[in-house]
Amino acid sequence: MEILQFALRKIIGGIPLILGVTFISFLLMVYYGPDKTYELLGKNPTAEQIESVRAELGYDQPFLQRYVTYLREIVTLDFGNSFSSGERVNSILKRTMPISLAVITPGFILGNLLGLVLALVAAYHRSGWIDKAIMGFSVVGMSISFLIVVIAFQLIFCSSYGLNWFPSRGWDVYSLSDYLRFVTVPTMATIFVALGYNTRFYRAVIVEEMGRDHVRTARAFGTPPAQLLYRSVLKNSLIPIITRIMFSIPLVVISGSLIIETYFGIPGVGKVTYDAITQGDQPILKAVVGLTAVLFVLTLLITDILYRVVDPRVSLK
Amino acid sequence: MKLFRLWLLLGLSVAICACGNGERPDTTGLKVYKVALDQSPTNLDPAQGATVYSNHLIVNAYDTLYSYKYLARPFELKPRLAESLPTVSDDGLVYTFKLKSGVRFIDDPCFADGKGREVVAQDVIYSLQRHFDPASLSQGSWVWQGRIAGLDDWQKAGSDYAQPVSGLTALDDHTLQITLVKPYPQLVHTLTMGFAGVVPREAVEKYGREFSVRPVGSGPFRVQSFDTTRAVLVRNPNYRQEPVDLAAEGYDPAIHQAYGLERIAGRSPPFVDRVEVNFIAEDTARMTSLTKGDELHAARVPSPTYDLYLSSKNPITLKPEIAAKYHMVNWTEPGFVFQTFNMDDPDFGYNDDPERNERNHALRCAIRKGFNWNERNERYYSGVGKIFPGIITPAMPEYDTELSRDSVIHDISGAKALLADAGWTPENLPELVYGIPASVLQNQYYEQFRGFMSKIGYPAEKIVVKQYATFGDISKAWKQSRLPLINKAWLLDYPDAENTLQLFYGPNRAPGSNDGNYSNPQYDAMFERAAVMQPGPERTSLYRRMNRLVINDCATITGLSRAVIIFWDKRVIAYPDRSFVGGFYFPYVDIDDT
Repeated sequence: MEILQFALRKIIGGIPLILGVTFISFLLMVYYGPDKTYELLGKNPTAEQIESVRAELGYDQPFLQRYVTYLREIVTLDFGNSFSSGERVNSILKRTMPISLAVITPGFILGNLLGLVLALVAAYHRSGWIDKAIMGFSVVGMSISFLIVVIAFQLIFCSSYGLNWFPSRGWDVYSLSDYLRFVTVPTMATIFVALGYNTRFYRAVIVEEMGRDHVRTARAFGTPPAQLLYRSVLKNSLIPIITRIMFSIPLVVISGSLIIETYFGIPGVGKVTYDAITQGDQPILKAVVGLTAVLFVLTLLITDILYRVVDPRVSLK
Repeated sequence: MKLFRLWLLLGLSVAICACGNGERPDTTGLKVYKVALDQSPTNLDPAQGATVYSNHLIVNAYDTLYSYKYLARPFELKPRLAESLPTVSDDGLVYTFKLKSGVRFIDDPCFADGKGREVVAQDVIYSLQRHFDPASLSQGSWVWQGRIAGLDDWQKAGSDYAQPVSGLTALDDHTLQITLVKPYPQLVHTLTMGFAGVVPREAVEKYGREFSVRPVGSGPFRVQSFDTTRAVLVRNPNYRQEPVDLAAEGYDPAIHQAYGLERIAGRSPPFVDRVEVNFIAEDTARMTSLTKGDELHAARVPSPTYDLYLSSKNPITLKPEIAAKYHMVNWTEPGFVFQTFNMDDPDFGYNDDPERNERNHALRCAIRKGFNWNERNERYYSGVGKIFPGIITPAMPEYDTELSRDSVIHDISGAKALLADAGWTPENLPELVYGIPASVLQNQYYEQFRGFMSKIGYPAEKIVVKQYATFGDISKAWKQSRLPLINKAWLLDYPDAENTLQLFYGPNRAPGSNDGNYSNPQYDAMFERAAVMQPGPERTSLYRRMNRLVINDCATITGLSRAVIIFWDKRVIAYPDRSFVGGFYFPYVDIDDT
């Protein structure tokens, strides 16, 4: 009951956040975003045709009226049709979001898990050669552009110049083996880059925890390293770890990964979102921004509940 | 641990169900042609098929009345949905078209019984009318605007399909008559374009806005799927049987025998069961996929990679290891890249003060002399683009080989002399705002241009860049005449120089296609005379005189036609081309499965 009440309070409290985010982003879209009119015109347009296209796009309506329409679209989850392709936005998101999720999830999970493990090992051997080696690897991962990593992995694993083990592009997924074939290289590239950031962040959190009195005491009592790291360090470091993981989720779900999708020819939501931004496809942008805001509110709620789960001292009031 | 495994299995199953593509299509024994395009189309509605990328799919999903012969170059028209070339009245105003009978749209739920019905003349009329219906968001109405009797008035009256258009008449189910306001010699060419794709009204009404991603046509292929990365076309099983007459298609053994094209003679296209069109904008990804061996059969080669594959650029020849695997075709695109001055800008264009007007003319000519086309070609087009003077491109039959090349010669001392004679000094030269869409390449163009100008004494700080987020935004700036110099590429719509000459026709001024607002009564009078003339020496002479006027007025810095190189796997029997209507060659592609 306490959790239910807390959830309701949080959701109601999230409404101003959604209104704020959607208002500011819609303002930017309308006044600073690309004008789609001139991409939809023919080669030799007349002034009347320009006005006609503007009217079809709804550009001639007052801002507030358009914003109210937008809010209604969020409530009804009906964002109309894409300005570019004419396809219903809901159909586009329904088709592309699961694909992005399937592409990004393995890299996201493995990147965080491996990052945690490496961070624990590095923190335990703080200032030793193992720590330096792991941190050195992390800096390399962080320093190389994602684009270069993707191209290099593609050449190494997917091209006739390299091992040629995996497809270089596409998403013909009909079975588990297809899935593994298409997702392996994008996952490896994602992990390679994410691992550096994750390891450094988690190591900083864990090092701080390892300096606490209770850890020193446990060490003095001769607690084995694995038990010490798991029981005394990791469990007590979970709050910042959960925060980092949870707040990455909305971006993973909605934005996908543009570079991965573009270079591997994966028809996910990342490419759709990027195209919508650069082409001023407002119906898609409105959907992505609105859904991201809603997802953030839900993430905030779940994060707070998880805090309570891992640390009963945290109050939901 | 068992529980963990169970959850893992369950998670994977859910993921695959969520993102899988349903049942795997059985392609065993089928011929599949896999080709790459370097951009993706956004829309497959013929009314909005403005790009060569959209046309790759549109002209295969829909029929057009006419098409271009597969192999004949220069391009020659041939009937497609029409039985023959039209009969034209003596005054050139009335065109009568006979349509093939028995041609049917593909089966689709939009039809009463789900079975595609016969294509009739009224469908052609409806398809043309749609361009004049604001709800269609047509990008092709300019092709017929002010040309077909009654069509513009029909639009002004509210685009009511119940009302007839006087210039569009179905004499019977298979006879169409188009009446023009004035002669339009390019009319038949326009009926090859994706814009002229014949659509059924039932599909437009059933699918509404989503008609743009649910094509229902009578072309050789049906679009099975379409997204941001790929389109899959499958053979239309009911496509009419029309055996290929190679000689009629322009087969020349000296050119085409090497590609094995004689093997398609006497057979009815399409020859492949499935075409997978992959949209790969990134050069490295495209070439990785092509050279992998099993993912792609054909792709355009990006110019920055020419050195990897070519042993010589003039003439273009392949390295032996590449030649062993791929066929290659290269041609110069019919369009061109150029820069036009905004003649409405009093600092560079027309000025009410006659003296300043003369000085502006000298300034434009000096800038043109300072522009180094050879360096632009070497740096950004691997030196294989074709530089030419004027606005009639080398691929056009009206191209003037005798025309002086002075306007494309880099002449620093000449430019400096012009500036000095006209009283221009670094202090009084006007600021030149160089507008670009935001991209690294466009910034490089700007820096190069600034470098050229520095050499003729134009202060670098007076060449100012202005970036626009998208092409749509810079297009808006052009259409609103807010930039003094317009940098653009023009892809030709049909093989007639009228298509580029109209870019400088006064009444087409911005927001029309004459972005530079060039206005020369002599030019306009010649354009109007030529516009109603059939091709011939008299029209060619007029075209060339107009070309010289634009050059003499220094209204534009032109031009360069880019080279296009395409590789395709030697197992594929094809002659790829996308000069005008992209993808019109797909039905003739075959795979050597031996």
